[in-house]
Amino acid sequence: MFWLKERWYSILSFIDMGGPVLWAIMVLLFVMWLMILERSWFYFVTYPKMRNKIIKEWDEREDTTTWFARRIKEAKVSEASISLRSGLGFLESLVAISPLFGLFGTVYGMLQVFDIMAIAGTSNARAMAGGVSKATVPTMAGMVAALSGVFFTTFFKHKAAVEAEKLEDRMQSH
Amino acid sequence: MRKLTTLLLALCFSATAVQAQDMSLDQLLNVVKKAATESSAANKKREAEFKSKRDQQRRLLSEARAQLAALERRTEELKLAYDNNEKTLAELETTLAERSGNLGEMQGTVKVLAGDLRSALEESMTSAELPGRIEFLTQLASQTKLPNIQELRQLWLEMQTEIVEEGKISRFTADIRDERGEIESNVEVTRVGTFNAFDSNGKFLIWKSAADAGTGTGKGELMRLSKQPAAQYAGLAKSFVNTPAGQLGEVPMDYTRGTILQLVIQTPSWQDKVKQGEEVGYTILIMGGIGLVIAIIKFFMLLGSGSKIKSQLKKKQPSQNNALGRIMSVYTESPDTDIETMELKLDEAILRETGPLESGLSIIKVFYVIAPLMGLLGTVVGMIQTFQMITLMGTGDPKSMAGGISMALVTTVLGLVVAIPLTVLHSILQSMARKQTQILEEQSAGIVARMAEK
Repeated sequence: MFWLKERWYSILSFIDMGGPVLWAIMVLLFVMWLMILERSWFYFVTYPKMRNKIIKEWDEREDTTTWFARRIKEAKVSEASISLRSGLGFLESLVAISPLFGLFGTVYGMLQVFDIMAIAGTSNARAMAGGVSKATVPTMAGMVAALSGVFFTTFFKHKAAVEAEKLEDRMQSH
Repeated sequence: MRKLTTLLLALCFSATAVQAQDMSLDQLLNVVKKAATESSAANKKREAEFKSKRDQQRRLLSEARAQLAALERRTEELKLAYDNNEKTLAELETTLAERSGNLGEMQGTVKVLAGDLRSALEESMTSAELPGRIEFLTQLASQTKLPNIQELRQLWLEMQTEIVEEGKISRFTADIRDERGEIESNVEVTRVGTFNAFDSNGKFLIWKSAADAGTGTGKGELMRLSKQPAAQYAGLAKSFVNTPAGQLGEVPMDYTRGTILQLVIQTPSWQDKVKQGEEVGYTILIMGGIGLVIAIIKFFMLLGSGSKIKSQLKKKQPSQNNALGRIMSVYTESPDTDIETMELKLDEAILRETGPLESGLSIIKVFYVIAPLMGLLGTVVGMIQTFQMITLMGTGDPKSMAGGISMALVTTVLGLVVAIPLTVLHSILQSMARKQTQILEEQSAGIVARMAEK
């Protein structure tokens, strides 16, 4: 419990250092990881069941070679592919905007530096340091958020493509 | 005297001589005898007289001598006394000089102190509550005569009053100058030390000393800020003003005694900041606005067509109000055509239906790609302005550079503010459109096939 509390304080002090933009990045990161978890659950738990069901239905069919059969196969693969890909575009856009949020934080921090310069002049480096940390910390946070998402988006896109192809391969004509 | 006597005698003789011719000799003799006797008697008398006078003179002389001696003695005495007095006088003069020297120093100190205190009190917010102190101090600082004990006491009193008032939160009524520069009388003012003052609505007041106020009345005054600080501070101030006496309350404090509050007037609001972005900033905002409108329209269009396609997927009967139904109706209108012809017809129908789904999305994409670039453009334009100002004015005055720097930063912010939501919206719309395209392209034929099988 104490450990958690301590973590929480260190997170709070980090956010305090980086300014309000970090809250936005935190929410973004939270949504991003929620989606990553949902996708992982789908790929490793939900989708195999769905795939087996489709294959079973296909195998039970008598006619698998006519034009109609091929169209039906296409439609089944497409359905599976749509559910494999769903959410990936959104996840990708989250990855794309997290460095933008970082940049936003940077500019916000710079504005604060100039505000402080207007009050305290250029001689007070210590007063400006707050704004400078607000300028640099969000950039870093945005980058880290993007990096953590980039790996999974690439992996999921690849997985979706491969799984769709595999499904098509496994629905053999017999 | 003797000469006169001789002359008289001679006259007598000549007279007698003249008469002698008529007188006998005896008579003459008698006359002479008589004359001789008379003159010797007179001489004796004169001698006696003379002698007595001489004695008198001697006495007078001795008296005078005695007097002289007495006076000389007295002279000696007085001289001694004079010398003594001289000495005492010199001593007393030294003391006087010493003592008046200390007093002069004290007067100088009092003058300096009064002057300092006056300038401190002119700047102090307590003067709004306690007027009339400045006049006394001005008079004390400029007077040439020594201050009396009463004035010294009052000086001390004023200093102590100020010290006590500085640490107090007090409520009083005063005349203030409102935002339009007009006097508003009898406003209830809450003062927090010498730092802040609020009116009854929790609006921030600042103290303007006589020199700053520039009204020519020679009096400082409380002024309501024409631009109040951010809402959270205003709310805090308002609840503080309404806190009853003796209770703790939170108050926003300007520990610089008004300097930061003055800056609040100068700090640009959100609108001012957008204005600093100039043409580039406006262009970005217009782009963002157009992009947002297109995105909203597109969102509802896709939502509508998506739900119709979904409901069509559940139904067997094709309806003409949606894309999938229109494709399916290619089959239901002429179910007996051969497969090749039908495939061609289906492809045509699919092509017709998928086209409009993604229309308009590319323009949103253009906007969200261009917006940060425009921000960058604004940054560069702003930096060019800054460097031009540096070329003209040098780096001495940071304020001359502020315009360019503000533009540089504000356009970047605007670019990001536009790009971030447009990116998210685009990705949502794109995935919606792609899903429907995929259904139409890949599943419609399958649905038709399934219908044909039954």
